[in-house]
Amino acid sequence: MAGSRNFLFGSNRPFFGGVFGAAFAVRRKGVTVFFMRKLVPALLLLCAWAIAENPRTLAIRNAKIVTVSGPVLGKGTVVVRNGLIEAVGENLAVPAGAWTIDGEGMTVYPGLIDSLSTVGIPSLAVAPAPAGRGGRGQSTPTQTPTPATTPATAATPAPPAKGPEDRPATTSWVLAADEIDPSDHRIESVRSAGFTTTVTFPARGIFGGQGSIIDLASAEHAGEMVVVPAVGQYLAVSRGGGFGGFGAGFPNSLMGYIAYIRQIYLDAEHYRLVQEAYAHSPRGMERPPYDRALEGVIESKRILLPANRVVEMDRMLRFAAELKQPAILYGMREAYRAEAALLLKKYGSPVLVSMHWNEAPRDPDPEADRTMRSLENIDQGPAAPALLQNAGVPFALYSDGLDQPRDLQRAVKKAIDAGLARPDAIRALTLSPAEIYGVADRMGSIEVGKIANLVVTKGDLFDDHTQIQMIFVDGKQYKPAPEPPAGGGRGATEEPGASQ
Amino acid sequence: MRLPGILIGCALAAGAASNNTVLIRGADVYPVTSEPVNGASILVVDGKIADIGAKIAAPKGVRVVDGKGLRVYPGMIDSGTQLGLSEIPSIRETVDTGELGEFMPQLRALASVNPDSEHFTVARIAGITSVMTFPATGGGGGRAGARQYISGQAALIHTSGWTWEDMAISGQAAVFVQFPSLETPGGRGGAENIAGPAGEGGTGTFTQMMRTYREEVAKLADFFDEARRYQKAKAANLPGLVRDLKYEAMLPVLDGKVPLAIAAATPRLIHDVIQFAETQNVKIVIVQPRELGSASTELKAKNIPVILGRVLALPRGQDDPYDQAFTLPAEAYKAGIKFAFGTFENQFVRNLPYQAATAVAFGLPEDEALKAITINPAQIWGAGDQLGSIEKGKSADLLMTTGDPLEIQTQVKHVFIRGQEIELSSKQTRLYDRYLNRQ
Amino acid sequence: MRKSWIVALAALAPLYAENIVIQNATILTVTKGTLQGSVVIKDGKIAEIGEKVMMPQNSTIVDAGGQYIIPGIIDCHSHIAVDGSVNEGSVSVSSMVNIKDVINPEDISIYRALAGGVTTANILHGSANPIGGQTLVLKMRWGKDAQGLIFEGAVPGIKFALGENPKRPGNPQGGRGATPTTARYPATRMGVEDTIREALNEAKAYKAEWDEYGAKTARGEHPIPPRKDLKLESLKEVLEGKRYVHAHCYREDEILMLLRVADDYGFKIRTLQHVLEGYKVAQEIAASGTGASTFSDWWAFKIEAFDAIPYNAAVMQKKGIVVSLNSDDEELMRHLNTEAAKAMKYGGLSETDALAMVTINPARQLGIDSRVGSLEAGKDADLVIYDKDPLSDFAKVQKVWIDGHLYFDRETDVNGRPAKALEKQKLIDKEKQSQPKSAGGRRPA
Repeated sequence: MAGSRNFLFGSNRPFFGGVFGAAFAVRRKGVTVFFMRKLVPALLLLCAWAIAENPRTLAIRNAKIVTVSGPVLGKGTVVVRNGLIEAVGENLAVPAGAWTIDGEGMTVYPGLIDSLSTVGIPSLAVAPAPAGRGGRGQSTPTQTPTPATTPATAATPAPPAKGPEDRPATTSWVLAADEIDPSDHRIESVRSAGFTTTVTFPARGIFGGQGSIIDLASAEHAGEMVVVPAVGQYLAVSRGGGFGGFGAGFPNSLMGYIAYIRQIYLDAEHYRLVQEAYAHSPRGMERPPYDRALEGVIESKRILLPANRVVEMDRMLRFAAELKQPAILYGMREAYRAEAALLLKKYGSPVLVSMHWNEAPRDPDPEADRTMRSLENIDQGPAAPALLQNAGVPFALYSDGLDQPRDLQRAVKKAIDAGLARPDAIRALTLSPAEIYGVADRMGSIEVGKIANLVVTKGDLFDDHTQIQMIFVDGKQYKPAPEPPAGGGRGATEEPGASQ
Repeated sequence: MRLPGILIGCALAAGAASNNTVLIRGADVYPVTSEPVNGASILVVDGKIADIGAKIAAPKGVRVVDGKGLRVYPGMIDSGTQLGLSEIPSIRETVDTGELGEFMPQLRALASVNPDSEHFTVARIAGITSVMTFPATGGGGGRAGARQYISGQAALIHTSGWTWEDMAISGQAAVFVQFPSLETPGGRGGAENIAGPAGEGGTGTFTQMMRTYREEVAKLADFFDEARRYQKAKAANLPGLVRDLKYEAMLPVLDGKVPLAIAAATPRLIHDVIQFAETQNVKIVIVQPRELGSASTELKAKNIPVILGRVLALPRGQDDPYDQAFTLPAEAYKAGIKFAFGTFENQFVRNLPYQAATAVAFGLPEDEALKAITINPAQIWGAGDQLGSIEKGKSADLLMTTGDPLEIQTQVKHVFIRGQEIELSSKQTRLYDRYLNRQ
Repeated sequence: MRKSWIVALAALAPLYAENIVIQNATILTVTKGTLQGSVVIKDGKIAEIGEKVMMPQNSTIVDAGGQYIIPGIIDCHSHIAVDGSVNEGSVSVSSMVNIKDVINPEDISIYRALAGGVTTANILHGSANPIGGQTLVLKMRWGKDAQGLIFEGAVPGIKFALGENPKRPGNPQGGRGATPTTARYPATRMGVEDTIREALNEAKAYKAEWDEYGAKTARGEHPIPPRKDLKLESLKEVLEGKRYVHAHCYREDEILMLLRVADDYGFKIRTLQHVLEGYKVAQEIAASGTGASTFSDWWAFKIEAFDAIPYNAAVMQKKGIVVSLNSDDEELMRHLNTEAAKAMKYGGLSETDALAMVTINPARQLGIDSRVGSLEAGKDADLVIYDKDPLSDFAKVQKVWIDGHLYFDRETDVNGRPAKALEKQKLIDKEKQSQPKSAGGRRPA
C-alpha cells in the first residue's frame, strides 16, 4: 500500500531546508570540525530517512536514459523536482539535498501511457468470458473492446428503447475523471508493468462519455490523479457481447447503431442552433429544453470509433468525416494489411492499435474450417505496428483488457519480434499517445519541464528477462508489485473475453 | 412358344378395361439399364411392364398412348424427402417428423404418411414416381433439441395411392440413424469476426467435443448390444421374454436385411460410421456427405452406397471452391461409389432432375446422373427388381417427356404410377387456370 | 529477369485493357434479338455488337467460339454484402437505418454471385418490419471497397414488408422469442397496415414542416430549420417519389392493401417482392404500374406461401406487369439463369422473355435500364459468357465482365486453387508448429 509511505511528505520541507541552512551557517562561523562531523551526518541521516520515500528532489545518476524525444544518453542524469523533470543530461550536477539513486546498469524511460483503458473505473474491469464464446452468436462483427457488463445499469434495467429519441445506451455527459476510484486494484498492476498514465474512458454503451488522462498515482482523492479531464467521446457500435434480436431495444443491428449516432449529431447541430438563437434573443421564443446527452456530445472535441477490419476502418473514417468530427480509430486488428495503411494515410487520422493479439484457438478441432483471413490475422496481427510505423501513420498501442505486467510485456515484445523497432515501440507507448491526445507539451518523453513520469529498468524494456526496478508517477516513487507465482495471474487475462 | 402369348392374352383380356393396362406407342424409350430405343412401344399390363419392343400390336380394348415425338423414362426416385409427413414447415402441427426420444427404431414413417398431401401431387406430376420418406430431418436431434440417435423407419413409397398401404413399396426400407457428430456449422461467407482471440466456430475445446462424441457413440453401441441380446434370447425361445417393439424393429437390421441410413458429413465421420457398422455387422447407406475425400476408397472398397444431398448448395467453408457441392457427385462417380440423389426439402422434390443436371455440368456423365435418380436408388433401397428402369416385370412407373428430363424446359406429358396414368393437375395448375382466365 | 516482368505484364493485360473484342459467340441481347457475332467493349461500355464489327486498336481478343453471351444478371432481391444483421428488428418502423452504411465488400458471397453470372444486385433490408430500412443497388465489383461497389446514380430504395414476417415479433404465442412483455406492435395484418399508414402520416406532417421552411427561406426569411429526423426523412423522399419502395408481400389481400395505401398517399410502390399471390391480383398490380419480383417455384414453406404457383411469373407477365425473378438467397443467386428457364417450363414463356426476367426486367424495375440489363451499344459492359445455352442447367459461367473489367474467369479460379490451398496449409502448419501439443487423440474408441 503506497499510502503508508507518505506520512512524512510535505512536513519535511521547511525542516530540511532549515537544518541544512543551519549546518552551513554553523560551519561558516568557524565551529569545530568535530561538530560538523557529528551533527551534519546525523542531520543528513535524519533528512535522508525523512525523505527516503518521498523526495521532493531526486536524481537518478549514471543511468542509460531513453528520452524518446531526443538521442539516448548512454550515461546520464535525470533530476526531478516537485513532480516535474527539472534537468536531464550527461554530466549534470546533482542539486544539493537531492536524493540520489545510483542508476548504474539501469535504464530510465518515460512512463508508459496506455492510450485506451478503463483502469480507474473498477466496474468496467473485464471479467473473463466463459468458454465457448464462438463466432456465430454475434450479430455485429465489429466487436469492440467493450466490457461485457454494464453494472451501472444492471440494477434497474431500462425498458427497451423504442427509437433514437429514447437515447439508448447514451451517457455522453460522463467524464471518466468523475468516476475514477483510486482503489481500483488494476492501477497497481498496470503501473507495475511500467505504465504511469492511462487514458481512461467510460467505455460503456454507445456514447460512453469522455475519457480522461489519469496519472496512476496513489492518491486519496481522484482529482489528484487527473491530468486532463476530457479528451474525447467514446463511441461503440455494439452493446458488447449481448445478442440483439427482438426485445433488446433499439438499436440492435450495426446499421441501427450508425443511424442512431448520425441522428444524435444531427440533433446536436440543431440543438446548438436553437440554443444559440435562444441565447441571442430569448424574448418571444419558446424555451428549448436542456439535453445533457447533446451537451456532452457538443463538448467533446474528438471521438473514438471502433474499427478492426479494413472494411470497418473505411466505414468509420467516412462516417467521422460525415459527422465532421476529428476521430481516432481503435482496435485496428487488420492494420497489418497494406490497404489499412493506405486508407489511414489518406485520412490522416491517428489510430490506437490493440496489443491484445488474436491467438490461435486452444485445442481446436483439427478439421474445423479455419478461414484464411483469421489465420493471417493470428499470424500477422503483431506486425501491424511495424507496418504502420513504416507507412508513417501516427499510432499508439493500448492494452485492450490486458492488465497483468507479464501479459503487457509479452504483448509489446510480440510486436517487436514482428518487426517494430524497440525505440518505435517505446514511442508508441509514450510520446505518440501524448501527441495524439494533445498533451505532448507535458508528458510522453524525458524533457525538461515535463511531468516526472518515469520507469526504471534493469535491462531493455519489454525484453523477457527485464526487471522493472521502480516507477515514478508525478515524481513519486513506486515499487512494482511482487510477481504472482508462475502462471498464477495469467489465466484471467488470456481468456477470450478480455477483448470483445 | 405360344404359351406366353396365351397368358398375355388372358391377362390382357382380364385387364383390358382396367386403368393400369396401357400401350405406349412409338416413343423414344430410355430404359436406363440398356441402350435407348427409338420409336419403340411399351405394353403395360396390370401395372407392370409386360413387353418392350419395336412393334407391339395394340391388344383389343387397351388404351393407346401416342408417344410420337416423346421420350419415355423410368419414373424418377427421390432418396431424401419427408413427403406426406410434413406440409408447411413453419406450422408445427403440419409436421410429423422429429419425434421425441433417443432410441426410436420402432417409429414407422409409413403409417403417418398423408396420401393427400399436396406435395405428392406436385411431385408426381413432375415425374417423381417414388420417394424415400424419412422420419426426421437429421439435424442431430428430435424435438426441442434433445439428442436423438435412432429416429425410426424410413419408407419407400409411390407418390400416388388411395392409402399409404396402397403407396407402400417397402415400409421399412431403412432405419434412420443420427450418428453423433463432431462437425461445427460451416462458414456461410458473412462478415468475419476477428475482434477477439477466441477463434471461430466451436463451442468448448476439441477435447471436450471428442469426449462427448465418444460417449454418444458408446451409447449407440450399447443400444445395439441390447438389441442383439434380445435377438439371441428370441432365437433361443427363452421363456418369459417380453416382446419389445424397439428391439423387434432392430431385428431386420441385425439380420442384414434392412440397412441403416446414416447422415455423415465429412470423411472422418464417414470412416467412424463405417467402423461402427463393421463392429455391429450391419449394412449402411451414407446420407448427405458434404465431402468424400479420403473416405472414397473405403466406401468403394466396402460397396457402401451414398445418398447425395442438394447439389445446389454453398461450399462448406469460406475459402472453399465455389463449386465444391457441384463437383461432389462427379467425385463420387470417379471413385466408383454407387450413389443416388435426394432433394431433402419437400417443396423442391420436383427439382430432383435439375439437381442432377447441375452435377452433369460439373463433371458427372449424363447417363450416370440419370441412373442416380432411377435405378441406383431403386437398388440401394432394396427395390431394384421392381423399380428404376424400363424392364419387363418391373412396376410401370414411367414418365413421358418432350425431351431430356434433366433440362428445365422439358415438359412432362404423361406420368404412370403402377401403370395408372396420373392426372397432371395439382392445386397449382388449377389456380393457374383459374387466375389466368380471370376477367 | 526482364522476361518475367513481360510475362507478368502480359498476364495482367486482359484485366486492364480498355478495348476488348469477344468474338464468335451466340449473343443474346435480350432487347435486340439473338445473333452470332462479336461484342466490342471500349472504356467500360459496349461499343458495338454485330456479326461483323470494327476492331479497335490494341484490343484484347477473346475467342468465345461455341459459347453464349448474355447481359449480366440482375438480382432484384438480395441480402449479401451486409455487415451485421439485415434487420433492425427492434422497432416496427426502421426507416432511419441504411444498408449503405454497412456494406461489406469482402463478403465472399459477392464472388460466388459473380461465379453465377450476377453483375448487379438490389441489396435490401430484411422483412422483420412493416417499414424497414433504406436500400441500395450494388454491382458485384469484387475487390473494390464499399464505395466502389455502389451502382452510381441508381435511385435509392426502402424496404416495406407485409404478411407473416413483420407481425411475428408481435405474436405472443407463435413469435420467435416474443413474450407478452416484448411483443411489438403490430401482431396482425390489420396492425401492419396501420403501422404503415401512421408512419406515412407522420412523414406527411414532417414534409409539410420542411416545405414551409423552404417557402420561408425562399421569401428571404431566416427561420431555424426543423429538426432533421432520419426516420421521417426517408419516408418524405418516398412521398416525393425520390425513393423507391420495395415491398415484401405474399397474399393477395395485403398486396391490394398496399397499392391502395400508396394511392392514398400519392406515390407508387416501385416493386412488390416475392408477391407469390400476385397472379390473383395481376390486373390490379398491372393497373398501378408496379413491378413484381418473385421466386420461380418456392412454395409451402409458410402458410402464406401455400397458394404459390410456379406459373406466377408467367401469369403476371401476361397481364402486363414487368416481372423479374429474384433469389433472396446467396445460393439461389448463383443460378438465376436456370430460375429464368423455369418461366419457360411453367407458363410457356419464350427464351427471350424468360431471360428478360433476370436482366432487362429487373433493370427496368430498379430504374437502371439505361445502363444495364441488355446488350446494346452504349450500355455498361456487364456481360457473362456461358459455355452452353444459358437457359440450360448444363451451362456453366466462364467469364464475367463488369464495366469492361474481367471480374470472374472460371479458368483462373480453377487453376488458382492449388496455390491457394498451399498458402493456407502453410499458415496452418506454421501455427501448429508454434502450438504446444494438445492432449488426447483424434480417433474415437
